[in-house]
Amino acid sequence: MRFELKMPDLATTDSEIRIGRWMVEPGEKVHRGQPLLEVETDKAAMEVESVVSGVLVEIVSQVDDAVSVGDVIAVFEVADTAKSSPMTRSAPEAAPSASDRSAAGTSPPPVESTPRVAEGAKGGMFARKRGAASPAGYDEGVRLTVAERTASKRLQESKQTIPHFYLQTRFKASAILARREATASVKLTWDAFFVRAVARAMGRFDRFRRRLEGDRLVPLATLAVGVAIDHAGELFVIPVVEPADKSVEEISAEIRANVERLRGGDADARMIRPAAMTISNLGVCNVECFLPIINPPETAILGIGKVAPCVVVREDGQLGVEPCGTLALSVDHRVAGGRYAAEFLDAIVRELESA
Amino acid sequence: MLQYSPDFLLDLYARMVRIRHFEESVKFMFLEGALPGTIHQCQGQEATAVGVCSVLRNDDFITSTFRGHGHALAKGLTVEELLCELFGASTGCCKGKGGSMHVGNMAKGMVPGIAIVGGGIPVAAGMALAFKMQKTDRVAVSFFGDGAVAEGAFHEGVNMAAIWNLPAVFVCENNLYGASTHISQVMRDTNIARRVAGGYGIRTEQLDGNDVVAVHEAARAAVEECRAGSGPVFLELLTYRLTGHSRRDPGHYQPKEERAAWSEKDPIPRFAQVLRDRGIADDSVLEAIAQRIASEFDEAVEVARNAPQPTVEDLLTDVFV
Repeated sequence: MRFELKMPDLATTDSEIRIGRWMVEPGEKVHRGQPLLEVETDKAAMEVESVVSGVLVEIVSQVDDAVSVGDVIAVFEVADTAKSSPMTRSAPEAAPSASDRSAAGTSPPPVESTPRVAEGAKGGMFARKRGAASPAGYDEGVRLTVAERTASKRLQESKQTIPHFYLQTRFKASAILARREATASVKLTWDAFFVRAVARAMGRFDRFRRRLEGDRLVPLATLAVGVAIDHAGELFVIPVVEPADKSVEEISAEIRANVERLRGGDADARMIRPAAMTISNLGVCNVECFLPIINPPETAILGIGKVAPCVVVREDGQLGVEPCGTLALSVDHRVAGGRYAAEFLDAIVRELESA
Repeated sequence: MLQYSPDFLLDLYARMVRIRHFEESVKFMFLEGALPGTIHQCQGQEATAVGVCSVLRNDDFITSTFRGHGHALAKGLTVEELLCELFGASTGCCKGKGGSMHVGNMAKGMVPGIAIVGGGIPVAAGMALAFKMQKTDRVAVSFFGDGAVAEGAFHEGVNMAAIWNLPAVFVCENNLYGASTHISQVMRDTNIARRVAGGYGIRTEQLDGNDVVAVHEAARAAVEECRAGSGPVFLELLTYRLTGHSRRDPGHYQPKEERAAWSEKDPIPRFAQVLRDRGIADDSVLEAIAQRIASEFDEAVEVARNAPQPTVEDLLTDVFV
């Protein structure tokens, strides 16, 4: 008869179990207790033993599949339980599936006097675990999406392993505003100005075109500048390739096109593509200043706050009001020192103010 | 050996086989999803439980740990009441409320297993104090692992038993690992019997815990001393767990060669060989024992599978509310 092997409850939490390697092939004869496959749980890698003797008919869960406790992972053809050895006998009897039970005819008749008869024992703990309804009003929490899980892992690794330091400054935005006014037909994105300014400054600061590998600063694979985008709550980075050679108009168009592709569900647009440095702009959200987390393997990230009229002291000592924005540069201190990074940030400011 | 009757020796053997069959079968039931929670098993350590409990009376008490199936069966609990407990049935030895980690039966001299490492040691000292104050000759025996020796409760329990000459036998099942940590990583002197003798001034003995007759003899001497008022005694039984710490532990920290070497010292085939060598049993006799135990187990599974589960009302019984 057919026997469906279910994933045993091997994880210490309710986490998924990953199939690592199958040690048997379909058509192979296995015995009870024989290791069939390796799995990875939240805690350890371990072997899963067969609970029956029989022939492996089908592997249901493939390598790298993430399965839950109780999922059918393989199908076996096993001899009728009544005719098997004493060692195999108690297994299917202990927790038979509904089909096995009727086929083998070993099921005891329902005991009418005890309607609560071991539900857990009969349906198996797998069934009990899965069938368990949450009490009303109980919030089980929100599971992170795959993209969120990837981002959270990378961000945690970055913040824990990269010694960040932060520089903050202000730039005068009148040049950019004038430029945007001048091209009223197609509004230039603010980000285009920042991408271009960062790219041009990077050209003069070699360390920001490198990343740390062991004890060497090796060149980054690209000189693209990435633009952090929040799309439907998920974090993406759009790389603008070789922006130092492009006009603000070209960069602006490129960013817009990429955002459209992302919104359109283009799978390629969702791919992680490398950049040399990322900019993250929360100015539109009314944020004055924030300190972003470096996006590895990059060496720095620029956080951009809102542009608004600010009180400034002019060179002649008089007070005035000018549109200004704030910049915060997060830097990997292993790659660049404070003064070097300060000069880099100042170069970005100069680029922005001469836009 | 010659002074023991064949029936007694075959009974020791059958008790060890019963524990092994129970553990191996329960392992598959767990893998099949028939049992809730996880289980901590004692394959390879059967001789310690059987050897020690073979000298105890029904009114002597033992304390056990989360790894208590073997102790329970050795102390006289039935396969059925244990299986029912593992299934969470109200006919279990703890009415289905204890599960695998807390098997026990006060009427049979076993405090339900205490899962806190070392937790049973002061309890045994307390029971031994009661036995002494009641002027009985009953004895309290505490089973624990090598990991428990580092617990404060161990010191408190053993020290108190020592200063008051309590009728307690402390049985340390040294299986080399506290969960996954090798004893050498947590003790500079890994001879626990020597440490305890020096530290507490009581008689200690270190012996092969996989030799069921040797364990029986050491336990008998220890229990006799306790009944005569010259307890406590500390026994360090050298043994090995031929399985993971729990079912979710693959035991990768046990080196393959080490596990293979200890498999050679597996107490059951070893004692079977002794029985054959001495002409006490041949293969057919041993096979008949295995068959009897297997069918006894299968019957118990049928009972446990169909046993009633506790009701919601049962939540409020046998507990302090």
